[in-house]
Amino acid sequence: MRMSLAQRVLLTWLFTLLFLIMLVLKLDEKAPWNWFLIFIPVWIFDTILLVMLIVKMAGRCKSGYDPRNGSQNIKKKAWYLIAMLLKLAFCLALCAKLEQFTEMKLVYVFIPLWTLLIGGMIELGYNIFYVRRD
Amino acid sequence: MLFSLRELVQWLGFATFEVFLHGLALLGFSVLLVLKADGGAELSWWKVFIPFFAADGLSTYFTTIVSVRLFQDGEKRLAVLRLFWILTILSLKFVFEMLLCQKLVEQTRELWFGLIMSPIFILLQLLMIRACRVN
Repeated sequence: MRMSLAQRVLLTWLFTLLFLIMLVLKLDEKAPWNWFLIFIPVWIFDTILLVMLIVKMAGRCKSGYDPRNGSQNIKKKAWYLIAMLLKLAFCLALCAKLEQFTEMKLVYVFIPLWTLLIGGMIELGYNIFYVRRD
Repeated sequence: MLFSLRELVQWLGFATFEVFLHGLALLGFSVLLVLKADGGAELSWWKVFIPFFAADGLSTYFTTIVSVRLFQDGEKRLAVLRLFWILTILSLKFVFEMLLCQKLVEQTRELWFGLIMSPIFILLQLLMIRACRVN
């Protein structure tokens, strides 16, 4: 199952728009909802991505799949899975902090995001500086 | 993940290096935000937003150079289109950052979040139109 670029763009666009509208309503105090409810578009989008990723990774376990095809690919998929989980952890921690469920410092909320960003920057930097030199 | 780097560059119109620059700015901003919020440093909101402003400035400089080079190479249409697109995106982003920063500093009721977010909503529509064109 491979979605076309238009479908993927539409999916991202729709959920971003929904999230931003709900965020504006909450920040302008027009909607007295819980922060976890405001983040519903983010939860749905992340769940869709996670399911797609897990289905793709599970596809390797099918009989007749030649594992020599992509040892590089599985590493990439594993990194994507970790990145998704880090993003989910950041959003959950942020919601918990905003709802004041816990008395934790903001620095603990941001640790997953920093890990994700540093990982992303390393991958991007590799793509810019290393791959081009080859 | 959902998009490959090539698709992302094609859709946003930014060079990979610019995406890297804005990613670094986000990282710098989040560090300064945490320093401010956790009370470790006496920073004003304008200082917290410096990474974003710096990334916008560098990105504009980079785009100008690329466009001038493209223009010199005879790709005039491409150069003008690229310059207009990137400057529109960057100015919308910059207006959003300025308004948000002003709201955080002054906490005025006249500046409501719907107004602050309006450049981002315009940006989203533009990105959707561009996605249709790229496809």
